[in-house]
Parts: sequence; structure tokens; C-alpha cells
Amino acid sequence: MAKKITRFHKFVMHNPFIQFFKFIYLNIKILNVVAMGHGGTRNSEKTD
Amino acid sequence: MAKVVVLGAGISGHTAISYLRKNLSKEHEVVVVSPNSNYQWIPSNIWVGVGRMKAEQLIFPLAPLYKKRGITYIQAKVTTFHPEGDKKTDKGFVVAEYVTGEQKGETVKVDYDYLINATGPKLNFEATEGLKPGTNKTASVCTYDHAQHAWNDFEKLITRMKNGENLKILIGTGHAKATCQGAAFEYIMNVEQELNRHKVRDKATVTWISNEYEVGDFGIDGLMVKMGGEMTSSKDLIEMVFEDRGIQWIKRAGVNKVEDGLVHYETLDGEHKTEDYDFAMLIPAFSGHGFNAYDKNGGDITQKLFNGFMLVDADYTQKPYEEWTVQDWPETYQNPSYKNIFAPGIAFAPPHGISKPRKSTNGTPIFPTPPRTGMPSGITAKLVADNIVEMIKKGTDDLHHLGSMGNMGAACIASTGFGLLKGRGVTITTNPIVPDYKKYPETGRINSKTIGDLGLAGHWVKLALHHAFLYKAKMKPFWWLIPE
Repeated sequence: MAKKITRFHKFVMHNPFIQFFKFIYLNIKILNVVAMGHGGTRNSEKTD
Repeated sequence: MAKVVVLGAGISGHTAISYLRKNLSKEHEVVVVSPNSNYQWIPSNIWVGVGRMKAEQLIFPLAPLYKKRGITYIQAKVTTFHPEGDKKTDKGFVVAEYVTGEQKGETVKVDYDYLINATGPKLNFEATEGLKPGTNKTASVCTYDHAQHAWNDFEKLITRMKNGENLKILIGTGHAKATCQGAAFEYIMNVEQELNRHKVRDKATVTWISNEYEVGDFGIDGLMVKMGGEMTSSKDLIEMVFEDRGIQWIKRAGVNKVEDGLVHYETLDGEHKTEDYDFAMLIPAFSGHGFNAYDKNGGDITQKLFNGFMLVDADYTQKPYEEWTVQDWPETYQNPSYKNIFAPGIAFAPPHGISKPRKSTNGTPIFPTPPRTGMPSGITAKLVADNIVEMIKKGTDDLHHLGSMGNMGAACIASTGFGLLKGRGVTITTNPIVPDYKKYPETGRINSKTIGDLGLAGHWVKLALHHAFLYKAKMKPFWWLIPE
């Protein structure tokens, strides 16, 4: 049985004011994950 | 003076071209060979497929941009590879066939000092009997042209529902080893939202069909995401979204045949089943383009370059799932036999899957193959371009720019409904893409960098990325500040 999205969660999901701050948070998070570098896995340090 | 030839002008090829041109002086030649006349921002195709965006909004012509930037553009499709040259020349070259203009059908030899194969996948609709888009009530969103046709068909379906008909919609994967579940997921969610917008949701049964062992696998073996402070599996997350939107799902299904309004599939249990529908969008299998390669004397050396996709610095030793490691994945995307040939993006041959391979009781493999679309395509293309620039400028053969999918983050921003205020999205970030259970024994990934989120903000992020990446692709001022 799948979990349900609660009414409160739906309110948060659709509230533009709250979502504006979420938008900023997500952009920072994505930048942090994607743009903060990548590298090899064999015998190297991060290079980019 | 060096000549760098890039095959393909999609997300990967165009990224490589952009960085090569930016970082190489004009004495070096950058050449593009692509059969396509337009650049397309593929992630937005799903919005074209539901009529919320015009194809023109996500494409632009390549020729004027390349002319302006001093990039030689040959609108042709590559047919054969000759990495050792031939009896007349020692320089490697490819043979390409013009696809347009007065020279259409004629071939041209394009020689190179460095070659980037960014030809992406062949959309292998033929691998599933009856799955040609536009036939048997099926559609595709793999290209902007396909997506436009998908919208034409979907629009007719909405009209029929408005006239009182109850109809069935089936969306997912159209082959037992298809990948790109994310695109199909986005499409089914956008279709469901549009049904609501047109007030015909109660007239439609919407069903997801997939080769995933569990929904939310996405070809990366699923993942544990941090959501609202708790660790949640992508299975639970996607099931929750499907449940909320009244979408049924069929999992562990290898589609093998499509007839007019009827899909045939085999399950991991070995059962052969069918599902009827009035409109279907099923992602085809991806395959290599079937290129051949020849040595200096004309001998066939295809196996030195391709196993379907292009061979690179991966460990292709066959081994069981339990022995897979992130070290198997390539770091430089350089062909081991010919050091001046590279294959970023979808063009490189992965060492194996990411999701656990499974076979039905009849022996049919049913599992997603690994995705390399989107961010990994751009990141790998940039690092290949950076390495080539360094090889040219410093005269070195050492490659310093590395990017394994086992040490690389990615974000999957899935639109689950279009609209500035009524839009919805699922945002998932993962780091690394390929789980590394030795380094991160708990989940295979860095928990703080593997997150999930539902809400309007996800849609805004996807929309912002649409505009940002088109800006970047058009090489407008300071485009390089936008990361891949």
C-alpha cells in the first residue's frame, strides 16, 4: 500500500509563497550537487 | 594547427563544440558533422507532447550560430570510421553522407586530429514489433517532431472524452531493456494534469507500464532520498505520487509487441499478458547506430571501436551484479585503441547496467539499461572537450579532466504538470549517479546530496533550466557561467 500525500503536504506543495523559498533552496541544492565537482574513481582526486 | 571533429549536435555534441570553440584559438578548426538542422532542448519535449509548449520554443537552427562562431558545419550523417586513414593518407577520417541540399546522397571524407563521437542513441523502435510512432495508436516524445505528433493525437483523444467516451491511456517503456523512464514518467504526469485541466480526468484510465523491478528505479537501481528530513525510497515516493493522481501501474513488464490498441508484454514471472489502450506513449530501446570501422587496408576493425555503442576506458569484463564496482565506469571517455577518439554522453558503451539485471522465468532479460542523458551528457562532453584542449595546447597525452558516473552528481527535475501557479514537479538529486556501496555502505550515495522534493517549485526549476540551457546553447554572453 503506497503512502498518501497528506493535506498539509499538499498545501505546502501548492502554496506559491512557500514554494518561492523552496525554489531558491532547490537551486542552491542542485548547484551544490551538480556544480561542485566530479572526478575519477580509480586513483584520482576530484579534478573539475 | 589542430582539427577537432564532433559527430552530433545534441546536448553532448553541442556542449563539446561550444567549449572547444571557446577555448581553442581560431587557428584550430572545429568541425561539426550532424544530420540535424536544429538544436533541440530535449527535456522540454514532454511539454510539446501535451500542447503546453510549441516545438519552436525549444529549438533553434544550428547553421547561423555555427557560422557566427567560426565553426564548420556539415549537415550529414556519418556512415563509416577510418581511424588509421587509408592507403592515401595516414590521418584518421570519417565518411559522412549529406542529408540535404544539392549534395544530398553524396559522401564526404572528413579527416581529423581529434574525434568526438557524440551521436547519441539510435531510437530503436524496430526492436519492438509494431512500435513505430504514429502507428497502432502509439506516440513518442523522443524528438520535438514526435512530441508534436503526440500532442496532435492526444488532443483528438481529449475531444473524444469531451464527447463522452471513456478511454484508456498507457505510458511507459516499450521494450524489456528500455531506459529513459524519467521522460515517460514526466509525460504520464503531464498527461494526467492536462486531463484535469480539460475536465475529462474521470473519462480516462491512466496506466504506467515499465520494465522496472519497482517503480522509481529509473535505471539507476532506485535510490534513497532525503525528503522532509526522512529517508524515503524512490519506490515509495513515486508510488505515492501515482496513488495521489489515480495512476495505475504495471511493473516488471517487458513489452515485446504492439498491435492496434493492444500491447503484449512478458512479466518476470514468465507470464505473457496484454493491455489494451486508446493512446500510448512508449519509450523505445536505445541502441548504437551500427557504424562500421575499417583499418588502413580496408579490414573490418569495428570491434575495436564499438560493441554497439563506442568502447571507452570502461572495464567491460563480464561479471555478476554483486561484483560490479564504480571503478568499472569510464573516467575520460577515450577509446582504448585510438587515443584521439572520445565518446561522451549516450554514445559511450556502459560497462554494464546500474539496475540489477533480471531475467524472466523464460530467460527474457527485463530490466532498465543505464541512462546517460541530461546532465551526465553535458558534463562528460565538457570534460572531453577540456582534455582535448589541453592535449592541443600543452602537447600532452595525459588526461587530467575526469568524470566517472560513480563520482558525479545529477539532478532529475521532473515536471509533473505544467503551469506557473498550478504546475507541479518532482525534484530528485543524486550523488553519485552510480551507487558506490564501498564508499557509502548505507545507501550507496551521499545522503545529504541525494534528496527528493514534491511541489510547484520543481516545475519552476525545470522551467528556469529550459530558459537557462537554451541561453547557454545559443552561446550568448557569459554562457559558460551556467554549469552543465
